Amino acid sequence: MDKLEQIKIAAEREIKDASNLKSLEDLRIKYLGRSGELTMILRSLADMSLEEKKIVGPKAQALRMELDSMITEKNKKLSERKRSVLDVSRPGKKIKIGHLHPLSIVEKEIVDIFRSMSFSVIDGGPEVETEYYNFDALNIPKNHPAREMHDTFWLEKLGNKNERLLLRTHTSPMQIRYMETHKPPFQIIVPGRVFRYEATDASHEINFSQIECLMVGKDVNLSNFKFIIEEFFARLFKKKLTVRLRPSYFPFVEPGLEVDIQCVKCGGKGCNICKDSGWLEVMGAGMVHPNVLKAGGYDPREYQGFAFGVGPERIAMLKYNIPDIRMFYGGDLRFINQF
Amino acid sequence: MKFSYSLIKKFAPGKYSKEELIKAFNTYSFEAVDLGGDVFEVPNTAIAHRFSSGSSHLGVAREAAAIFNTKYIDPTLNKLSFDFKDKGIFKVNIKEKDLCPRYSATYVTDVKVGSSPEWLKDVLETCGLRSINNVVDIMNYVMLETGQPLHAFDADKVRGGIIVRRAKNGEEIETIDGNKFKLSDNILVISDEDRSLAIAGIKGGKYSEVSLNTNKLLVESANFEGVGIYKSSVKLGLRTDASVSFSHNLSPELVDLGMKRALMLLKEICGAKIHKTEDIYPKKQSKTVIKLDLAKIEKIIGIKIKKTEAQGILAKLGFSISKNLITVPALRNDVEIIEDVAEEIARLKNFNELPAIPPKISMAVGGEDDIVLIKENIRKYLTAVGYSEVYNYSFVSEDKLKIAPAEIFGIKRSVKLANPLSVDFAFLRNSLAPYLEKNLKDNLRFFDEVRIFEIGKIFGDVVSGEEAKILEKTILGIALEGKDAFFELKGVADGLMEDLGLVDWFMPDLNLKNDLLESQESLRIELGDHSVVGYLGVLKSSSKGAILELDLEKISKAVIEEKEYEPLSKYPSIDRDISILVSSDMRVGDILEIIQKADPEHVNDVDLMDFYQDEKFGDKKSLTFRIVFQAKDRTLTDQEVDRELEKIVSFLKEEAEAEVR
Repeated sequence: MDKLEQIKIAAEREIKDASNLKSLEDLRIKYLGRSGELTMILRSLADMSLEEKKIVGPKAQALRMELDSMITEKNKKLSERKRSVLDVSRPGKKIKIGHLHPLSIVEKEIVDIFRSMSFSVIDGGPEVETEYYNFDALNIPKNHPAREMHDTFWLEKLGNKNERLLLRTHTSPMQIRYMETHKPPFQIIVPGRVFRYEATDASHEINFSQIECLMVGKDVNLSNFKFIIEEFFARLFKKKLTVRLRPSYFPFVEPGLEVDIQCVKCGGKGCNICKDSGWLEVMGAGMVHPNVLKAGGYDPREYQGFAFGVGPERIAMLKYNIPDIRMFYGGDLRFINQF
Repeated sequence: MKFSYSLIKKFAPGKYSKEELIKAFNTYSFEAVDLGGDVFEVPNTAIAHRFSSGSSHLGVAREAAAIFNTKYIDPTLNKLSFDFKDKGIFKVNIKEKDLCPRYSATYVTDVKVGSSPEWLKDVLETCGLRSINNVVDIMNYVMLETGQPLHAFDADKVRGGIIVRRAKNGEEIETIDGNKFKLSDNILVISDEDRSLAIAGIKGGKYSEVSLNTNKLLVESANFEGVGIYKSSVKLGLRTDASVSFSHNLSPELVDLGMKRALMLLKEICGAKIHKTEDIYPKKQSKTVIKLDLAKIEKIIGIKIKKTEAQGILAKLGFSISKNLITVPALRNDVEIIEDVAEEIARLKNFNELPAIPPKISMAVGGEDDIVLIKENIRKYLTAVGYSEVYNYSFVSEDKLKIAPAEIFGIKRSVKLANPLSVDFAFLRNSLAPYLEKNLKDNLRFFDEVRIFEIGKIFGDVVSGEEAKILEKTILGIALEGKDAFFELKGVADGLMEDLGLVDWFMPDLNLKNDLLESQESLRIELGDHSVVGYLGVLKSSSKGAILELDLEKISKAVIEEKEYEPLSKYPSIDRDISILVSSDMRVGDILEIIQKADPEHVNDVDLMDFYQDEKFGDKKSLTFRIVFQAKDRTLTDQEVDRELEKIVSFLKEEAEAEVR
């Protein structure tokens, strides 16, 4: 028996007997590896005579191919045998993810809608404000009952400064702050935290959030405002909603409006959410009062615009059916992880 | 303000139901709420700017007449006949003309004090007032009808005349409800020659009160300046219908309307005889005339308006128009500028009839604030790695202020509220940590592990005389309680900083005594320029808890670098693991420093693979590091790598007294 025949018999038996992938790999190296037995023969062909080459060459090549395919075949078999079939009906592995606070989710939804309409998102600005920015510049007169609508937290006086500081009662001071440092035309949206000195209950908190919107240009008008808010509410609640505008009084706008939307729960038929009115009060708005434009450094004969404030808590409570505003500030993950 | 539907109908007769009236007010005028029966309410806040016309049945009826296009019947236009040609015995002396722009008084005799007729009692009851006697009831009714507060003195108790003056400091007065007030000189009183008879514009005094024995009156209809009344009312803690009205800057033009109606009714109901009225009104309210600038009105509203339509609306509301000038009715002292006129027109056309017109939008070149984007990125990153977001109060109790190392953020003094709601909320928070620590504890009742974060403002007080100001910082706080908390948090912090685009930061020991963190197990977070941006550490309250706070404003300023592509190495890397035994108080940070000091070449990364402490090592611990070698330009040979590794080993032996295992 020549050498090739011996290799063939031995290799075929050994491959057949190989019981695992490791021993199979060892066999591959033993016969077909860089210094494997068959490889050595193939390499030695160079030193053989032409006659010998003609006999041994094809035989050796054929054997090499045969062993190669045997090993491949065996490898396949061993691999299959190695693992049992997955029970793919088992539940997936639990990947732990965190949850955003519902107010952050709502805020993001709101600002993204405005972003898509070319509004810029501006950082909320100072939460501790002066009387000037919170009231005077916004045309809310000193010693007038209109200021009483804003139940205010005051800070103890600092140093020997005369000016009293307060916790802003709304995000509207940002209208002034932004106008002071920017030229129109522009349209901005400013989310921030505000404060009211009042007893807490299911619909009142001592701190809550607000999103201020301000658009100023040469001819930004009330009909433009109507377009923007109709578009906004349709996108926010993902359906066409009837928006109702009512005359109202806020010292920093003229004309001043209250905006209602058709109840998102009952569609206007009347339910416990809308207290059977079919409508939900959702924001105060209006055309920026000329005195406010002046306080911002603009000439009201040249520029005009609209402003409004919307409360993410109110929107979140409506969207998610949350019954109590205090849940937002309790840090309870059983609540937060639902969103 | 409460209103009687049936009384409104008397002045604006028409075919509308109460429900229709309320709906119309809400659509065209101001908020109105049905309170059942004959009553509805208009919140003071809805008419705060137009009390002279919005707090009276006549003013509100005028709105109704304009909306429903009905007649408007104004009883103040009826004729009043006087019974005497003279003013009687009383003189009026206004000492403070700024605080009292107008004062009128009428001497009335032959008054029969008794109970009021039913219709009058009904109106008062509807509007939430108690019937006292016919004289007092008439005063109250006329205020409901015209908006002008009135007062009747028992004329026999008034000596000499009426003096409108500031109270003397310490002067006392007993009001008709039996309460006593000590006054000061910033409070205005109505007095006679002997004593003060009333707190001007707020409440009448007991002494000159009308009783069943009264038969002569001095009827007062006056105007007092709003700010003065408001301040006095706040100071005395005394709020009356009159003080609320005057605080809203009533028009002095209401004075004679109110007086006229009161006298008519006193004659009619009490059979009174009236003298001529003394009326001191030195500076008349000026007429407001506005140019009817239709183009501006159209520009505000956004649609074309016909001139005749605008004129029609304004006329219905009592404005008089000649050519292009509009004269505002005296009681509409809220209308001062063209924007106010635009509102009148827009609301009576119905805001809901406006078209929705897309604005011409200019491109937002200002762009967005960096911190807005940083916050969004942080929220994305932290939720993805398992942390949930909480919102806590901005207010804390005093003891919570002392917990966290707030001085790391430059906060030394805390900010105290002048009017806190409770001791638990008496200060502004100087750190997010106390509430996060509490959140951990609260949530551990329901979860095995808790991972939370919060983004919010903290506050401090930076005091230096005139320059006193508040320091306000946007902070990120992260807290967790669970297995291996500290190192997870440290890893999250590193990951976050990298994700935000920071390239250089360090975490040296905190070395700052505080009640929040274990002093041996806390680090400060520094940027490349060694500015401190935060801290992290193991909680004192729970060894399984860790917490971090980071100054987002500083972080956002540091994130300026853009990422830059670095060519991938075409050559393989070679890993070498070395295990060493070192003294158990030797820190990994120190060893990493030593490795750096050895200055080996081609080191791509050094990682701690294994950490092992066991009794069999005595006071030593075992550390395994994986050192990754790679060259940019060739495949490193084993010999090269061994040589570099040897450098490291010899430094470790030398400086850390390490035994290589």
